[in-house]
Amino acid sequence: MALTGRTALLAALGTLPVGFLAPGWAGMLAVNVPLLLAILCDYAWAAPVRTLHFTRSGDTSVRLGDSADVSLTVTNASSRRMRAELRDAWPPSSWAPGTAAGASRHRLRVPAGERRTVTTRLTPTRRGDRHADRVTVRSYGPLGLAARQGAHRVPWAVRVLPPFTSRRHLPSRLARLRELDGRTSVLTRGQGTEFDSLRDYVPGDDTRSIDWRATARRSSVAVRTWRPERDRHVLAVLDTGRTSAGRVGDVPRLDAAMDAALLLAALGTRAGDRVGLLAHDRRLRAQVPGRGAGDTLPAMVEAMAPLEAELVETDMRALVATVLQSAPRGSLVVLFTGLDAAPVEEGLLPVLPQLTRGHTVVVASAADPRVAEMSQGRGSIERVYEAAAGAQVGAQRGRIASRLQRYGVTVVDTAPENLAPSVADAYLSLKAAGRL
Amino acid sequence: MKTAAPTSLSPTGQQVWARARGALAVVALLVAAGITMAALRSDGGFGRLDPRSTAPAGSRAAAELLRDQGVSVHPATTLGDALAAAGSGTTLLVTDPGLLSHAQQDALHHAMSTAGGRTVLLAPDRDALIGLVPEVATEPPVPVTPLDPGCSLPTADRAGDAELGGHRYTTGARGADLCYPSGGAPTLLRLDAGAGGETVLLGAPDLLYNDRLDEHGNASLALQLLGAHPELIWYMPSFGDTSTGTTPAPGDSADGHGDGAADREDGPGDRAADRPGEESSFLDLVPDGWVWGTVQLGVAALLAAVWRARRLGPLVTERLPVSVPAAETAEGRARLYRQVAARERASASLRSAARARLAPLLGVAAADTHTPDVLVPAVAARLSQDAARDPHTLLFGPAPADDAALIRLADQLDALEREVRTS
Repeated sequence: MALTGRTALLAALGTLPVGFLAPGWAGMLAVNVPLLLAILCDYAWAAPVRTLHFTRSGDTSVRLGDSADVSLTVTNASSRRMRAELRDAWPPSSWAPGTAAGASRHRLRVPAGERRTVTTRLTPTRRGDRHADRVTVRSYGPLGLAARQGAHRVPWAVRVLPPFTSRRHLPSRLARLRELDGRTSVLTRGQGTEFDSLRDYVPGDDTRSIDWRATARRSSVAVRTWRPERDRHVLAVLDTGRTSAGRVGDVPRLDAAMDAALLLAALGTRAGDRVGLLAHDRRLRAQVPGRGAGDTLPAMVEAMAPLEAELVETDMRALVATVLQSAPRGSLVVLFTGLDAAPVEEGLLPVLPQLTRGHTVVVASAADPRVAEMSQGRGSIERVYEAAAGAQVGAQRGRIASRLQRYGVTVVDTAPENLAPSVADAYLSLKAAGRL
Repeated sequence: MKTAAPTSLSPTGQQVWARARGALAVVALLVAAGITMAALRSDGGFGRLDPRSTAPAGSRAAAELLRDQGVSVHPATTLGDALAAAGSGTTLLVTDPGLLSHAQQDALHHAMSTAGGRTVLLAPDRDALIGLVPEVATEPPVPVTPLDPGCSLPTADRAGDAELGGHRYTTGARGADLCYPSGGAPTLLRLDAGAGGETVLLGAPDLLYNDRLDEHGNASLALQLLGAHPELIWYMPSFGDTSTGTTPAPGDSADGHGDGAADREDGPGDRAADRPGEESSFLDLVPDGWVWGTVQLGVAALLAAVWRARRLGPLVTERLPVSVPAAETAEGRARLYRQVAARERASASLRSAARARLAPLLGVAAADTHTPDVLVPAVAARLSQDAARDPHTLLFGPAPADDAALIRLADQLDALEREVRTS
């Protein structure tokens, strides 16, 4: 049961006859009893809401920042024409703030026995799964005085995927990958590289790569070309504990890490490597085993979508155990975590040797530009103290990074927007150095 | 079209009934219990000195005796009723004059002096006397005990001793009968009122109680006092009764008042008539149309509230991810430094950072970054000789003495670094 503004307006207009013509109980009854009867009749004549039938269709996943359209088909099985207002309710973050009321409400008319489709456009503002809440229908009577209201649960879910904004860095990194690949004249040698082909010597080539045996067989000097090894295993490990919950700028550290992991996966699969994903805090949160080129990226995006950082301390011992279990020997393990002193010293450092014994390890962390900004503060006593605190934090991170490097770990500590390209560069230089 | 499982979330009629019937049963039980108890206890519902009450402090016995004597007893609960019935052939009994408002006292006083009947006031206190019988003053009360008549009033003489006490009254009025004195002041006072009427004051109402009526001469006194006229109006004032029975206007006769009151109460739509004070006069001045129009507007406002209050479905909740500003600890540390004025720690931190930036510029090994013997000569070699600053003090010196010195130190370290960079 719901009333409309028209009812209140009629009652207000009733003031005139009551005031001028018949002040007293008689006038009150003469105005309000017909109004009450009209409300009751209108309520009775309104099309029923309970017997409506709903079906949904439309998008089931959308990249963060894009829009998804979800259609709702309303079938009016009753013998009465329905004039209704409908609210297709979704969680608040399904729309930009302030636009939810407009985007979720629809006015529709459904003649008896027919069906109509309304489309709700979602523009989610956060990653993760959005589940449709309920469909509330307010069916007005023919007089527009009263309405029946009821709700239906019509389940649907839209998965909001990470935006992968670092895609724009992919072409330049792929170009560098091709340079490594022996297809161009630039040669890079390393212990891990594998023999590709022989070609003629051109001035400028490393003389150490001249293949004397081949030269003896032919009239010109031949050099060997090398190309980086393929089919190596890369494992991106997301620490989803409390250090990843820290918001840098407007984005949690975890989102920056995901973006970097996606770029790494895109790059790695093009380079012929198998890229896997692991997300862990106190327990395993998501796992994508290393696969071939085709389906790695979609599987990773799908696995990342519902991940959120938890306010718990990461169990590094369990995390490392899981990594050792799932990564074959000689893998590249890229650990996305924070470089805060206490968690690294107490959690990561004691178990790091187990990891570095069999694998190449990269530790990547999004630094907060605010700390750098604080370190630049001068002029007033508050800002100088901020500078001191910023310098202190910077020095601590530097100390932690150098302790990690002592274990042979490559450390990437940079602003969130640079994290993805920097991790990609670290991957490329490790590949170039033949350390994979 | 395929038939799917019902998706509706609204409860059906059966569900509503199933949920509500327990509560309805409890409510019905309570109502039934209330009605039963009220029916069982209905005889005890009358108050003190009520002519219908059989309680010890009721007065049904006295009323029945009076009826046996041929006196018709009319209980009245509003002053309007009481005054409308009062006249020269009536006795008006006021059981609790202390409950009358000033306006009511005025109306009663006016009626007492013009109606010509007998008015019996039970235990009026000083405030009530000022409005009703201004010529009488009170003395401090005494306990209720059997007292001798002690006067020449035939009524008292016939009754003999009776249980009186309570308030005691003195008066200088001529023709007054002072009876049942206690400690020198009478507890029963009879005065002549205007228009041939008379007023009787009783210091205590005990002699009318059901359980006291048969003691001493109580019954005799009560019957004589209340049975002098064929009509007895038994008026029981209450706080709820605000009627004055009249609008005070000079020159009106007693009958005129009575008729006026009856007219007003019969008049339909004049609901302001029995309201006291200024409110009544204000509402009297407002035309009925405005009053009823406002009521109808209130109905409209209520409907508008119902219209706006109904939401199109409830709010949807969502679990939000935690997010903590990552630089929070750094900022907290800065505020802590500021709070305890940790100049030593802050300067050490600034100097250490400056040294760490300088060392790579100068080609000093990372291990020697914080060694004065290596770093200071390297810095000095890059500075112009005429500069007055001392790199050792700057990079390894004591903590600044005050805030200004700390700010200066930060600027000087910057300047030093700039100079090394550009040299």
